Amino acid sequence: MTVTTATPSRLAGSPRGGEPRRRRGRTLRWLVPLAPALVLLVIFMAGPILWSVYISFTNETLTGAASVNSRFIGVDNFVKMFGDEDFRNSFVLTFVFVIGSAVIGQNTLGLMIALLQRGRGRVTRSVVNGVVVAAWVVPEVVAAACWFAFLSEEGTLNKLLGGFGVSQEWLFTAPMIAVILANVWRGTAFSMLVYSAALSDVPGDLLEAASVDGATTWRRFLHVTLPLIRRSILSNLMLITLQTLAAFGLIYALTGGGPGTASQTTPLYMYEQAFRYFEIGYGSAMALVLLVIGGLFSLVYLRMIKVDA
Amino acid sequence: MRRAMVASALAVAVAATAGACGGDTAGEGQGAANEIEVLYKVEPTWPHMEKVLKQAKSQYEAANKGVTIKLTPVQGNNEVYYTKLALLNRSADSAPDVYLHDTFQVNADVAAGKLAPLDEYLGSWPDWQSQYADSVKQAAKGPDGKIYGVPISTDTRGLWYQKDVFAKAGLPVPWEPKTWADVLAAARAIKQKVPDAVPFSMYSTKPHGEAATMQGFEMLLYGTPGGTLYDDAQKKWVASGKGINDSLAFINTIYREELGPKQADAFNPKLADKMNLDWFPAGKLGISLDGAWSAASWKETSTKPWPEWTEKMGWTAMPTQNGEEPGAVSMSGGWVMAMSSYAKNKKAAFDFISVVTNKDNTLTYSVGSGDLTPRKDVAADPKYTAGNPSVKFWTDLASVTHYRPAYEVYPKVSAQVQEAMEAMTTGSQTPEQAAKEYADALPGVVGGPDKVISAP
Repeated sequence: MTVTTATPSRLAGSPRGGEPRRRRGRTLRWLVPLAPALVLLVIFMAGPILWSVYISFTNETLTGAASVNSRFIGVDNFVKMFGDEDFRNSFVLTFVFVIGSAVIGQNTLGLMIALLQRGRGRVTRSVVNGVVVAAWVVPEVVAAACWFAFLSEEGTLNKLLGGFGVSQEWLFTAPMIAVILANVWRGTAFSMLVYSAALSDVPGDLLEAASVDGATTWRRFLHVTLPLIRRSILSNLMLITLQTLAAFGLIYALTGGGPGTASQTTPLYMYEQAFRYFEIGYGSAMALVLLVIGGLFSLVYLRMIKVDA
Repeated sequence: MRRAMVASALAVAVAATAGACGGDTAGEGQGAANEIEVLYKVEPTWPHMEKVLKQAKSQYEAANKGVTIKLTPVQGNNEVYYTKLALLNRSADSAPDVYLHDTFQVNADVAAGKLAPLDEYLGSWPDWQSQYADSVKQAAKGPDGKIYGVPISTDTRGLWYQKDVFAKAGLPVPWEPKTWADVLAAARAIKQKVPDAVPFSMYSTKPHGEAATMQGFEMLLYGTPGGTLYDDAQKKWVASGKGINDSLAFINTIYREELGPKQADAFNPKLADKMNLDWFPAGKLGISLDGAWSAASWKETSTKPWPEWTEKMGWTAMPTQNGEEPGAVSMSGGWVMAMSSYAKNKKAAFDFISVVTNKDNTLTYSVGSGDLTPRKDVAADPKYTAGNPSVKFWTDLASVTHYRPAYEVYPKVSAQVQEAMEAMTTGSQTPEQAAKEYADALPGVVGGPDKVISAP
């Protein structure tokens, strides 16, 4: 991210012999201030990550004999995982959740709100921003509690719909829709902020020139705005996808993965295996698979939106 | 060069800080020989253990100057408590010295060497010989024959019923069902005549964890002819059989005929509070398959006392499937005070356990929690039975009670049972499908196809 900052100091005609030392000096210039953070990251992030990669190839558990004498079992956990119907179910639900709430929900809604806000008065913008960002600011559990209060049997939604005779227990009849809606509601603010920033970088004269040429609003959006904010779309998609893949608190607090396994996405199934049934090795193996999936998503985005370096 | 030096100096400084942190914890650990950390669970509706431990702490500290008791509560239900305890127990630094332990988790911890045997201390504790019956002493016995915990509570399970609801449904009081069919017939009558009441409630989903397995499935299975999870003679787990199918079919009937709580409630982790604090007092629940401790929700020590309960509530034994001998079934478990093998000052830790489980403290606990007492002197105390006319009934159920095969793999078997029960609750599988899935999954859970058999 900060690659560009190092370049200006380079002198055009500097003698070749000075290069290595200078380079080392430059390396040190960023390495020294970063060192404490790097050391902490290695200890507290790389360490646990490597440990979890390691134990996903063992039969490690949290209680019982295997918790003290775990042994290497190769890829058994992964073989078991792909034969495990509950895991496959959780996997499909995770995809539905990511596509539904992040890629479609948060992303398009965020973009739409940002577009609609363009050129609006200060008051409108601060009110809309305030409302949308408020949902993002509240802690996950509070957001879940709000949605629970809204969707539960004696909740607001049923009170509103009571007159039409369609009241039902939404969290049990449509748990996936409930968690997707809640996550869209909560996460849209992030996309909106990213897109607001990106749209403000779209030069007004370009749009003006396009409209002088007779382009409709839709065409201006498609051929001027969209190409210009492509990088932001890419980074936004990547960030929210990774965030949503790992979403746990909201679903856990709202439906607990239920009823049955109807909203049990992989992070919830992982938690259940690792901390309810104490199969920490198996749980870690799932975490590893989830990591790979996150990587795959990122690759797909990079391919889809070709960004010239 | 100078920068390189700065960098290495920084690295050294960071390493030193990290080292210092490590040193700190080690130092704290050593200094803690005079501090006994006690882990227990607490919920807003379940303050009973906390009350006893605070009482025991002040008694112990007054008698033993220089040793402090550090009480560490875990907020949440049993499932949360098991997880927290398992995580803390992973390292000698974080493991509590003494903890409240569910008997069904004991063997797993014995296998892992996390628990300290208490035999050498129990030998010099007169109460152990005089106040605990031999059957009670088994509660926390490891496979090696050693004792790993002092029981603080035990329990039995059976049926509670609301007499007002029964009256409205035209059912006889006192009610004495002889077979499962009698239970279902009563539930159907309630459904028909008292539409605003839940006819029959039981725990049958994963959020209720072990409570679903034990109060739900096992109360049915152990009442079928020869029904058991584990064959003691052959030392093998029972993967399939008519008992398993019939037990699942019973649960299926409850939910398919809508005799049970609504799905949302069946999955609510707070179902027990709904049943005992809301539904029974309001006359909105007919029958519950639960345990002796339910009475604690209505006593004056509860957060929501219901003094009329002694007249409104009835209690009866869960019948066997077709009234087979001995006519009733019950399951027993309980909690013990256990000591960590990592405890630095084991003598002091045991002394504290003996204070917690002495007569006064056990009595306070039993009166508050409604759990049955493992001590003979407490059982004989009039305060124990005062205000709870059901105690004698629940205590007497010990004659028909069964214990879980609480071996190391039991918690995993229990998880499979819950899976099958949940499928009955939602109706996602037929009893036969769920039974087959259980039979297929069991060998993998208990460590191989040679460790399971199938019953007729």
